[in-house]
Amino acid sequence: MTSTDTGQRRRLSDSRPVITDLMDEATILSVAEEAWISLVGEEEVLVPLPGDLPGDVLSSWVDVVGPWTGSVVLTTGRATAEALSRALLREAAPEVLELEDIEDAFGEIANVVGGSVKAALPGPSALSLPQVGHAPLVRNPGDVCRVDVLWRGEPLTISVQGALPPLPVSH
Amino acid sequence: MKILIADDSRVMRQIVIRTLRQAGYDDHDIVEAEDGADALAKVGSESPDLVLSDWNMPNMTGIECLQALRAQGSQVPFGFVTSEGSPEMREKAANAGAMFLIAKPFNEDTFKEHLDGVIA
Repeated sequence: MTSTDTGQRRRLSDSRPVITDLMDEATILSVAEEAWISLVGEEEVLVPLPGDLPGDVLSSWVDVVGPWTGSVVLTTGRATAEALSRALLREAAPEVLELEDIEDAFGEIANVVGGSVKAALPGPSALSLPQVGHAPLVRNPGDVCRVDVLWRGEPLTISVQGALPPLPVSH
Repeated sequence: MKILIADDSRVMRQIVIRTLRQAGYDDHDIVEAEDGADALAKVGSESPDLVLSDWNMPNMTGIECLQALRAQGSQVPFGFVTSEGSPEMREKAANAGAMFLIAKPFNEDTFKEHLDGVIA
């Protein structure tokens, strides 16, 4: 008996999940809210409303490598990142914050949010150390789940975005 | 009691110290370490009674630090405070000799739950 290559096996092995198959905006918002309460303060709320980010933004992110590979990226105005850092440091905040303090605090928020996002994804996965700077590029617009929030009235986005280009579409 | 807190984030070390205080453990000496290698050295030089360590750190991770301590014969009580709390990591931590793993985000109740009976 001869077998015919229907392409089924190849299509199955080529398939990989995109983030919207694995989680939704409500999960990301819930994860972020928990991180905010723990790190920023019990009274701190995230309002799920979009806002216009200023021109001078800063991003912090961690990479997740596993069955789904991508980044968990927080982006906000530089002044808001500084305010977040002060909120985390509370009485330990110096009068003048160094860039190092902002990178540390803003990166740690991405680390905690990213750790919880990773926990909600299929494993095993590895989590990178946090990075701060210009956000990694979106490689596949179909592999992005993004939440826009306001913190103390200032806009902040949380983007869970794939690091891999889209797969070729079979015809 | 002397508690060694190992985390590469200074901010997170501050938050752990603050949460310890909020949980009622406010009368202890605190020593800070900025990665696993620093923690390993300070267990030797500072003789802490408890180590609270992050997992994911540059130079030497928390689990590598714990494994090195146990390989050296140190039985210092060791717990993780980390942003990752998968079942695999909890099993790996327990197998290496960790007493507990507190996953971030945490609050003072989480600390009390894991530290009551550990911190005098």
